[in-house]
Amino acid sequence: MKILVPIKRVIDYAIKIRVDPTKGAQGVQLSNVKMSMNPFCEIAIEEAIRLKEKTTAEVVAVSIGPKQCTETLRTALAMGADRGIHIETKADVRGDYIDMQPWGIATLLKGVVEREGGVDLVLLGKQSIDSDCGQTGTLLAGLLNAPQATFASKVDRGDDGSFTVERETDSGTEVIKLKPSAMPAIITCDLRLNTPRYPTMPNIMKAKKKPVQTISLEDMVKELGLNLDEVLTPKNEVIEVYEPPPRKEGEMVGDVMELLAKLKEKGLVA
Amino acid sequence: MRQFQQKLFCSVPEWVASGTRTLARIGNNQLHYQVGKGRIAPDRGSCRRWILSVPSSPSSHHERDGIQCGSQVLRGPTLHDLAHFRSILSRPDRSIITTLTDEASQRQLSSDSRAEELVRYNQDWTGEYRGSSSLVLRPTNTSEVSSILRYCHENFIGVVPQGGNTGLCGGATPLHDEVIISLEGMNTIYGIDGQSGILTCDAGAILENLHSFANERGYLFPLDIGAKGSCQIGGNVSTNAGGQYFFRFGGLHGTVMGLEVVLPDGRVMHLNMENVDDYGTIQQSKRIASHRKDNTGYDLKHLFIGAEGTIGMITKVSIACPALPTSKNVSLLVCDSYCNVLTVLKTAKEELGEIMSAFELMDYNTLSFVFAHGFGGNESGSRLLHDLLQSESSIQEPERLRPLYLLVETQGSNSVDDASKMDTFLTRLLDSETIINGFLAQDERQLKEMWTIRESCNPCVAQAGCVYKFDVSIPIEDYMEVAWEVKKELSVSMKDVDLIACVWGHVNDGNAHINIVTPGRFKKESAIDKNIEAAVFDSVLKRSGSISAEHGLGQKKNEALGRIKGENVLDVMAQIKGLFDPHGIMNPGKYLPKKT
Ligand SMILES: Cc1cc2nc3c(=O)[nH]c(=O)nc-3n(C[C@H](O)[C@H](O)[C@H](O)COP(=O)(O)OP(=O)(O)OC[C@H]3O[C@@H](n4cnc5c(N)ncnc54)[C@H](O)[C@@H]3O)c2cc1C
Repeated sequence: MKILVPIKRVIDYAIKIRVDPTKGAQGVQLSNVKMSMNPFCEIAIEEAIRLKEKTTAEVVAVSIGPKQCTETLRTALAMGADRGIHIETKADVRGDYIDMQPWGIATLLKGVVEREGGVDLVLLGKQSIDSDCGQTGTLLAGLLNAPQATFASKVDRGDDGSFTVERETDSGTEVIKLKPSAMPAIITCDLRLNTPRYPTMPNIMKAKKKPVQTISLEDMVKELGLNLDEVLTPKNEVIEVYEPPPRKEGEMVGDVMELLAKLKEKGLVA
Repeated sequence: MRQFQQKLFCSVPEWVASGTRTLARIGNNQLHYQVGKGRIAPDRGSCRRWILSVPSSPSSHHERDGIQCGSQVLRGPTLHDLAHFRSILSRPDRSIITTLTDEASQRQLSSDSRAEELVRYNQDWTGEYRGSSSLVLRPTNTSEVSSILRYCHENFIGVVPQGGNTGLCGGATPLHDEVIISLEGMNTIYGIDGQSGILTCDAGAILENLHSFANERGYLFPLDIGAKGSCQIGGNVSTNAGGQYFFRFGGLHGTVMGLEVVLPDGRVMHLNMENVDDYGTIQQSKRIASHRKDNTGYDLKHLFIGAEGTIGMITKVSIACPALPTSKNVSLLVCDSYCNVLTVLKTAKEELGEIMSAFELMDYNTLSFVFAHGFGGNESGSRLLHDLLQSESSIQEPERLRPLYLLVETQGSNSVDDASKMDTFLTRLLDSETIINGFLAQDERQLKEMWTIRESCNPCVAQAGCVYKFDVSIPIEDYMEVAWEVKKELSVSMKDVDLIACVWGHVNDGNAHINIVTPGRFKKESAIDKNIEAAVFDSVLKRSGSISAEHGLGQKKNEALGRIKGENVLDVMAQIKGLFDPHGIMNPGKYLPKKT
């Protein structure tokens, strides 16, 4: 089995986002900010490795973005992926919806699936935490005309090449079966699917020796016969980025009576 | 309630006897009479007159304990005092918690809930010490602290300063019915100087809040300990807390620039802290100035660092913060012998050099308890622990064959350089087989989880049973040896008692936290305590170590001071205490050994 896992490098989820209000749509500060693998992509990698451990599979991690994406790929390789493909964008191309958007990424990924050949499964995060679009997986399935399941909380592979996926919905969970087809199954991963492992030191060292193919976006576009504008020009325009209004500081009250008095004063209770 | 038999007592010339009541006048705030012979209480009619009584049984605590340094007997607060405190505090309803019942307090709460509220202040973090204070005062500014102390000083009322109450030696817990002065109501952070990086705040500011405050402004608060969510900077300074950043950023004697302290007689001193008046008010339109260098006179602030509330109360602190390092790396490493831990340390010094910011050790027993009791619901952390413990799956005997775990952190200013240093360091360790396994945090969450493991040692081991805690300084090469030696000795001398020795701490400072646990047995037993203490102290002192590296003395180790300090040193310490606190009201019965 061959599993493709696209992974995205985003601002570390534990870091406070800083917005420079003078920069308009480009306000989110990226320089000197800690970047890490999108947590949902990490879950996708973990799931791919688990499937690999159950059967046999080759896990290929793909990352589209600036030079430092190789670090993100190394993490995936240290966790257990077999090789990496890095489609390198120029340093000033932003991946957080400002320049690259899900349409462009999905178009590229479709090309990668075809270029690789023999891909049985594409596991993606359900969304990336920078733009929260949640569109790449579904767009890719649409472009490939492939079976898809989103928000997976459990994935099982049948002997016939089908995938049974438990998915999270607003009203509970739903189990669907992706029939074997000529196209790879597209599954996007939700939070409860698994708990990603910590890469061990020996595996981090081994990962250094695993192959990563780096190819510039321009070359890749050419090789895949795509149009650079189609991939790089955003379909939607970001008008403005701003910080959420600061939460008003709370006020401490001494006892219930005081609380009631305050609430009355503000007209919140009669 | 203790019973007092009122008796004539006339050993001081100023005392005037009248029947069974002895009324006294106090001149110049001086009162001299024999140690441990009685108790004075104010005459309700006048605060200048006193009733002196002598206990009916020799088991009165004052007689039993005597009071170090001072030569007078203290009393607990009365309703009369309560009325006075009500009159001097600006928000008495919030600032006073008491089980003494006068009309005003009856209006507030039922006596049960008041008693319940007091428990938190009377009980220490370890659960080992419990006081019976009936009054907690929570002043809101320096001038209130000053009025409270002056009154207690004049009236010989014992007080216990309390910060976050996380101290591990019972220092913030009353021995008897002293008044607890909690600084939780004083937590303003005044700001951080953009040029010098000196941060100034009230002593009651919580350490974790200081971290966020400094971080948001591009600075690092140079002290970090596991109790940061509750402990206060005033408590930290008073215990001279060490913590994981000690060797990188230095101790509080180096980072504390200025202090505001209130002496027991109510005087306020500003020690390298300018533009603050005697009421603790900052002069308008001026910023608080503390200088890095100040060689004008005796540097008194150092006396308050580590004084554990025995010579005055700290009300404001200035502390120098370095610029916030922008890159941080954390690795968790597994070694199969202590000898390899030493090699890791040496390699770290060579490869990581100045960017190394923590080098922490945890032994196998500790980590097993963290695995068993920690990480409620956090699967990712549990998984890491599981993988760590798996590294050497079978539990080996004897203990010295069990794996040891290290948390190594770097903090620097260039993420590419720092990562490459970490990489070289780890590659060397793996190639030389100095470590058998390890993990390098890939993102902030993993980094935080690694620290959570380290910070869970204390609470998780405490859940396993009664913990006999020791915090010692020993030569680095014997870091693990002391615990093993103690364990071996105890397995002979107390072979019926099931004991597990857990060790963690700051290896590079030679500071080991040795925790002997009786699993499943939660009651502290004094016979066991004595045996363990004797074994640990012997083993440490034999190596010329210190029996309290960073937790202080409190009421737990004050007696041991007599064993380790020379007579001259003890004498001068007692004189210092007497100079600042002539009535001995500050944290009585702690810190210094009892006078014999
Ligand atoms: C989980 C955990 C981890 C810990 N880790 C470490 C560690 O790594 N390193 C370390 O050194 N300690 C450690 N400690 C011990 C403890 O947290 C420190 O001693 C801390 O500095 C105490 O601060 P506090 O505010 O809780 O003080 P408290 O416990 O309230 O008081 C401690 C002493 O200081 C006095 N005091 C408090 N505030 C004042 C004041 N404003 N003026 C005068 N005297 C005052 C008290 O009377 C008492 O004697 C740990 C404790 C816990 C529970």
